[in-house]
Amino acid sequence: MQAIETIQLGKTYPSGKEAVRGLNLSLPEGEVFGFLGPNGAGKTTAVKLLTGLLAPTTGQSRVMGLNPAQEVEQVHALSGVVTEHAQMYDHLSGMDNLCFYGEVFGLTREDSRQRAEELLRHLQLKDAESGKLATYSTGMRQRLSLARALMHRPRMLFLDEPTSGLDPQSAQQVNGMIRHLAREEGTTVFLCTHQLRYAQEICTRYGLISHGQLLIEGTLDSLRDKVLPCLTVRIQASKPPEGMDIQAAEDGMYEIKVSAEQDIPVLVRGIVRAGGDVYQVAQEKPSLEDIYFALTSGEVQPE
Amino acid sequence: MKPAMKAIIRKDIRGITANRQLFSMILLVPLMLSVLLPSLFVLLTHFMPEESADFQKVLDMMPFFAPGEDTETRVLRLIIDYMLPMFFLMIPVMASSVMAGSAFVGEKEKQTLETLLYCPLSLKEIFRAKVIATFGLGMGVSALSFLSMLLVVETQIYLLRGAFLWPSASWLMILLLVAPALSLIAITLIVRVSAKAQNAVEAQQSAVFLVLPIIFLMAGQMTGVLLLNAWILLGIGLGAAGLAFLLLSRAMSGFTYEKLLKR
Repeated sequence: MQAIETIQLGKTYPSGKEAVRGLNLSLPEGEVFGFLGPNGAGKTTAVKLLTGLLAPTTGQSRVMGLNPAQEVEQVHALSGVVTEHAQMYDHLSGMDNLCFYGEVFGLTREDSRQRAEELLRHLQLKDAESGKLATYSTGMRQRLSLARALMHRPRMLFLDEPTSGLDPQSAQQVNGMIRHLAREEGTTVFLCTHQLRYAQEICTRYGLISHGQLLIEGTLDSLRDKVLPCLTVRIQASKPPEGMDIQAAEDGMYEIKVSAEQDIPVLVRGIVRAGGDVYQVAQEKPSLEDIYFALTSGEVQPE
Repeated sequence: MKPAMKAIIRKDIRGITANRQLFSMILLVPLMLSVLLPSLFVLLTHFMPEESADFQKVLDMMPFFAPGEDTETRVLRLIIDYMLPMFFLMIPVMASSVMAGSAFVGEKEKQTLETLLYCPLSLKEIFRAKVIATFGLGMGVSALSFLSMLLVVETQIYLLRGAFLWPSASWLMILLLVAPALSLIAITLIVRVSAKAQNAVEAQQSAVFLVLPIIFLMAGQMTGVLLLNAWILLGIGLGAAGLAFLLLSRAMSGFTYEKLLKR
């Protein structure tokens, strides 16, 4: 069964803004899916459509085989959601907040407490468990929100900008938790972010969205094949390779684009045969950022 | 009732009682209306000069006094059975409005509503839990106010006169029917506007006009135009309960997640 399936899913707000347009997506279970795009691209709207908080204006979606527009309570029962606007109660302690949400999701009081303790330990919040939420820093709040979303061991986790405003250490803890969930517990993660480098660290599949429209979807390798099927080779040599299109050259360091890894030995042999010395060779695959900017700038159309 | 709804009820009650500023305001006004004011009335009645001919004339016009009762007893009965109920009815309206505003729109203000909407309960179940919490707390404050009033007034009367003067059966109608019905009406009025209101005060204003009929009743009592007895109160109570039921059943119609989350 696919964790998420959408067919021509769209949402136009009463103001006329078309936030999501004809979204077609198919996400297998256990993936960490990075839904990437700038602010206002339609990521949060997509999360709200998939969690039943918004009704679609076109198309339909399925989350774990359930229709969020009609079976919203069932979708909520198997989902955990972290968004910027889903806050917790300032007057309650971290522990009491988690226990409350645990009970709301059907856990007994005892189970809620045990699960909360486990999550607080994992997310390095054990020392602050009895402190009121009002005293928590942004990073602590964000980690507690993640713990809250995980209280009922959801099969599907929706994370909207989970590391925005976090210090590097907190971000690392959140990333570690997400990886652990996907690998060890088989949780499917739908992660929305505009931080492409961050997404590349933890996601297994990607969807790039701009102005409400999904530009491309797939694994990083498949995106590279579709959008930028070339490698950048940085080569330090005593003389430039002949007959190649050199992108940049500085202090004996040359940057060359090749279409496949097999081209690299050919390149090196060419320099050596011409009497040059090669000191170092490094290849660099296009990053998500390269792919995204290539797509949004209109330079490249996906194949 | 689902355990999740019980958790929301507990959380809402705790949320209101833990907010010292809000809760002290909820307790202070009832304390004034149910303890301070009645206590003052009883004292004034006791120390009022008995030869007030004008006031005697007013009392003579009242149709419900037992023959042979002295003026002070009559005045005290007028206060306990006809005036204090009107002050008392302000308590459930005020307490329920303030708490409902905090429980419904307060969640929106503090950005905790969205989190609650992600729980595996329907919108109706979430709101029902909140109505139960605010209604229960409103009734708790009302009952506490009544008991405080009874304790203080009866102790005062006993100390001043050497005998108790118990409230009439009208109070039963007020406590069991009129006050709960008014409380529910106030809550449903707040629920109805909670989707649009951006803050608790804005929502609370929608229930303010509920005080008007109480003021009219009070004026009726004081001028003698409409003197409430148990039967009239039963009628008012049943009417208010019917209205509360009608409003409650319609309060959440048309509610969607989208409307509730609109900023």
